[in-house]
Amino acid sequence: MIVARIIPYALVGAVSGYLFFTATQIEFHRRAGTLGPDVWPKLVLALLIATCLYEIVRIVLVRGRRGGAAGVLQEMVEESEAKLGGGFVYAGARSPWTLAAGIALTALYVWVIQQLGFFLATAAYVFAFIALGGYRRWGVNAAVSLIGTTLMMFFFMKVVYVSLPLGQGPFAQFTFWLMRLMGIR
Amino acid sequence: MDGVLAQLANGFVDVLAPANLLALVVGLVLGLLVAVLPGLTLVMGVVLALPFTYSMDVTAAIILLTAMYVSGTYAGAWTSILFRVPGEPIDVPLLWDGYTMARKGHAAKALGWTLVAAGVGGLCAATVMVLLAHPVARIALTFSTPEYFAIIFFGLASVASLGGGSLANALISLFAGLLIATVGVDDTYGAHRFTFGVRILSDGIDYLVVMVGAFGLGEVFMRMEHRFKSAPLESVDTVSTQLPSLREASAIKGTFARGTLLGIVIGLVPGAGATVASFLSYGIEAQYGRRRELMGSGIPEGIVAPQTAATASVGGAMIPLVTMGIPGSGATAIILGAFLLHGLQPGPQVFETSSHIVYAVFASIFVGVIGMCLIGYFAARYLVRVLEFPEVIVSAYVVMCCILGAFAARNNITDVWLIVVFGVVGYLCERFRFPIAPLVLGVILGPLAETNFMTTMISFNNDWMVFFTRPISGAIMALAIVTLVYPVLRHLRRRARLPAT
Repeated sequence: MIVARIIPYALVGAVSGYLFFTATQIEFHRRAGTLGPDVWPKLVLALLIATCLYEIVRIVLVRGRRGGAAGVLQEMVEESEAKLGGGFVYAGARSPWTLAAGIALTALYVWVIQQLGFFLATAAYVFAFIALGGYRRWGVNAAVSLIGTTLMMFFFMKVVYVSLPLGQGPFAQFTFWLMRLMGIR
Repeated sequence: MDGVLAQLANGFVDVLAPANLLALVVGLVLGLLVAVLPGLTLVMGVVLALPFTYSMDVTAAIILLTAMYVSGTYAGAWTSILFRVPGEPIDVPLLWDGYTMARKGHAAKALGWTLVAAGVGGLCAATVMVLLAHPVARIALTFSTPEYFAIIFFGLASVASLGGGSLANALISLFAGLLIATVGVDDTYGAHRFTFGVRILSDGIDYLVVMVGAFGLGEVFMRMEHRFKSAPLESVDTVSTQLPSLREASAIKGTFARGTLLGIVIGLVPGAGATVASFLSYGIEAQYGRRRELMGSGIPEGIVAPQTAATASVGGAMIPLVTMGIPGSGATAIILGAFLLHGLQPGPQVFETSSHIVYAVFASIFVGVIGMCLIGYFAARYLVRVLEFPEVIVSAYVVMCCILGAFAARNNITDVWLIVVFGVVGYLCERFRFPIAPLVLGVILGPLAETNFMTTMISFNNDWMVFFTRPISGAIMALAIVTLVYPVLRHLRRRARLPAT
């Protein structure tokens, strides 16, 4: 239990330690009497490491029995919620696999958007995301994915003038056809 | 004073220009929808609206985002009162008396009290904002870099110490944000900091990417882990609003005054936004109000206190943002981002260079509060129907808007990858209770803090005591240290009071 609580702080502390070492290697021409560009990041990293160490020592010393100092006003909010009820709680049980699949799906979307172009990649992504979220009305899902993506593409390319990814090869041809259809030049 | 009134009058003329008025109405409706929709928070809504403002004129863009901020503090009350589903954490206190009043068969009256409270709180705070902004900006004009650093230090300290959860976690989050802001090529020496040979990192990590990823995508991942399951809605027959009479309202004028004053003060303090204002105001009413023993039984004071404070906090929060360029909350951080995206740096100089924009935004808050009340009165019944919309579909579009927002800023796919990374960071922060607001504010204020720190060091021969020896910066630094130390002392005192086990 205590080890599990220490892990996030140990990880952040270790990464900060590595970054502190990296900060000592920053190359620049030192000017006499002035502070270099490494001072500020080193200062921040030193504070970050100190906070992590403090929290690790605190957890070890109190053996997880008590929490540390908390934000004053937020503490009042939480106390009121505990006393009177009504705080926000998620209704569903935790599903780490759904989360992992969702993150993987989002990463896949970013990866293929350059190849497939905005329209095809986004419509497919929205459809898959909604299905992954447990929504099973396939017709509605398909309509929402296609209509929403079309509207977004029209708005960003025609109104805001953002150059969205067009795709490659035949996918680019499809995007150009769609753009002609929407009157986007 | 005459000058301020004349500029405000010009601001009203600007707001009534068709493009600005359209932006205001769209912002109000979007803010109301965001507050009602499951799975969307006020800050997330303002983040998502940001990319849609890229091609807009700066005045219209800020008006739209500010309108969302104002109306976002109001509409969540509808779902709290009608369905016992708080649209935002801001609206939790409205469950205690608002929902109880609705269960007694007075839902329309409860909605009426909310509307009046939001209107009174919003308008009074907007008036105070107009009266205070120019004097505060004039004082800020006399500041030098040590004072600016001290103000930023105070802002960051209070965000960490007043904000959510553990103080250590908030500080870690804040330092991580400050560190992210250092990535890239240093302006003074041209040195590469934490770029690791990756070319895109030389340009630095855009705060927009951190903001959209951590606030927007992180929240979606959090909800995805719970498979977008929302609490079941209770059925209501009709949704209508019945305004209280003038006599009824004047009977609790003390509650209106306390809520408004508290909202403005809390709004002024960085790190304490509408949620804290709403809870504190309810708490004060429950402790010192005339009918404190009846709080929780469905009395108007229990609705008016949190709602006036929540909406009044908007006016308070706009003062440090506009006069010193210091955002105190997630929503004002995004509004600051919009200012910067349009090439405008808020601060005391903005009153000299672009006062017409500032006063147009001020005027838009007055018009916005009135518009919000009108829309609330006539359209609440239609707007609450979006609650029936499946959360997973809303979330899919949230992700799409996040990704489009990141891509549209620099037309760079690497930013989109970074947004996914910061989405996961945002999720981990939520999961392990590291507050996100200090991280985001650290990224935004980091460069400003570093510049002012380094310039002070150069100007004062590396004498860091200068921050403490100059009267104004010394006083602000002392206040910042008290802000940081107070939670620790409070914690130690409470621990000492606990019986030994």
